[in-house]
Amino acid sequence: MKRLTVISGHYGAGKTEIAVNLAIDFKLDALIDLDVVNPYFRSRSVHDLLTRHGVDLIESSLPRSSGSDLPYISAGSRRPFIDTSLRAVYDLAGTKAGAKLMRQFSSLIDAETPLDFFVVINVFRPETSTTEKIVSLIQTLEGAAQLRVSGLVNNSNLMRETDASTIQQGESILREVSAETDIPIVYTFHPENVDVKESDFSGTVRPLRRYLAKTWL
Amino acid sequence: MSKVLMKGNEAMALAAIKGGADAFFGYPITPQNELPEYLSHHMPANDRVFVQAESEVAAINMVYGAGGAGARVLTSSSSPGIALKQEGISYLAGSEIPCVIINVMRGGPGLGGIQPSQSDYNQITRGGGNGDYKVLSFAPENLQEAVDLIKESFPLADHYRNPVMVAVDGLLGQMMEPITLEETEKTQAAGKKEWAADGGYGERGYRNRIASLYLDPYKLEEHNLKLKGKYDEMREKEQRYEMIETEDADIVFVAYGTMARVARNAVQMLREEGVKVGMIRPISLFPFPKKAFEALPERTHSLITLEMSLGQMHQDVQIINNGRYKLDFFGRTGGVVPEPEEIVEHVRAALKEDA
Repeated sequence: MKRLTVISGHYGAGKTEIAVNLAIDFKLDALIDLDVVNPYFRSRSVHDLLTRHGVDLIESSLPRSSGSDLPYISAGSRRPFIDTSLRAVYDLAGTKAGAKLMRQFSSLIDAETPLDFFVVINVFRPETSTTEKIVSLIQTLEGAAQLRVSGLVNNSNLMRETDASTIQQGESILREVSAETDIPIVYTFHPENVDVKESDFSGTVRPLRRYLAKTWL
Repeated sequence: MSKVLMKGNEAMALAAIKGGADAFFGYPITPQNELPEYLSHHMPANDRVFVQAESEVAAINMVYGAGGAGARVLTSSSSPGIALKQEGISYLAGSEIPCVIINVMRGGPGLGGIQPSQSDYNQITRGGGNGDYKVLSFAPENLQEAVDLIKESFPLADHYRNPVMVAVDGLLGQMMEPITLEETEKTQAAGKKEWAADGGYGERGYRNRIASLYLDPYKLEEHNLKLKGKYDEMREKEQRYEMIETEDADIVFVAYGTMARVARNAVQMLREEGVKVGMIRPISLFPFPKKAFEALPERTHSLITLEMSLGQMHQDVQIINNGRYKLDFFGRTGGVVPEPEEIVEHVRAALKEDA
């Protein structure tokens, strides 16, 4: 895993759940919540959980403002680019508006920066249901963020109705995307309670713990 | 069409397109913004009209205009925005113009907050506008139900020539769930609206006039009685509800929307402790589903209303109760969604008090 991971994708793809999972599982130093779009289900809503796991949550410049949807970005979001001892994950808001926020770091990023820009895909989201739509989304995100996408993340799911075949449908479409774009599938996520045969899927196969959505709802 | 995973606001927007909405007029407000955002792309792509108005007041009056011209019209907002629209809703009801209104509720009063709430029950069922009018209103519990109700709301609005409101709280607007939207399903066509101010004389030989102004009190009274006839028809035909494990229930919860989702868990948890609990889940808010209470078994002795407000629907429970059951209330407000354990704890404490 590179020192910096940026998580992007269409909104509702599961970016925040994945960013939180990566931060906790890989004991990262910081999670930077750059979600300026969503009013609910943001990583700032799991502040206490992240703190318990030793992950520093860098969020709005109005800390803990879960009741606000003002697009205030903390200047602390630059820290991982300056302090090169920090391992961090950036959680962007969905689509173009969210990806654009990475441009503020353009002057701090060069070819040597150890940074991965991943796109999370759920093929059951209507806006990313086909190879064409996904390729077009990748181009949009690259343009908006001014970064090259370095990996695809398969998070194809139907929430509680997910089974191995659900994830398999994502695998098939993402293989086509991968062939067309030369971008590898780096992770495949599956719900904790769904068993999958690792060899059926590309990239690192990992269970996804649901920290944000109340599972009983 | 197979299942897709959608965010509540998007799913409701798509349902309106499938339901045959010709035009949308609205103004942004959290937590329903994904709805107009989605429509801003997809209405033009489907050769429909999308207008972001300069205010909620302007939007509801555009609804009046387009609805009056015979179009199937949608608007959406969240609690304070719905409050702003109330004058227009009264005019729509008074002028008998059909429209569909989606309300994604947040905490109040005033500007309140942006977290989920059910504190619009009064302004949905009692109206904020003037006059003896009612709005047919539904409160789905999940996204599939929301989608189905929205599709159905357009023909219902046309049938009653009255506004229909679909109300969810912010959590349902923001959450993701799998839904199906049957592509083959043909929504009941609007048909020719003989009453519409369509700009011509038609076969009638005169232009239609749409207004809520009746200067002769006897004519206005007559108009009000005609409207009442429609509300009575709604009371007869549109009461909708779900009975959940009420067959052997001593205690029955009354909860709708997200609160019903929370309460479902509390029902199971209490049943595991041997407490026989069931639930009435109102789906229509107006008409209030009185029939559900008539279907309760003899053994039921208590009703507990559960709301994400300080007890607005509880007043309707009190009205229909007429001394029959012991009544109790539990609610959280201001944007707080209770955990099932809080409800369980409330019931345990009430049982201890009774013993």
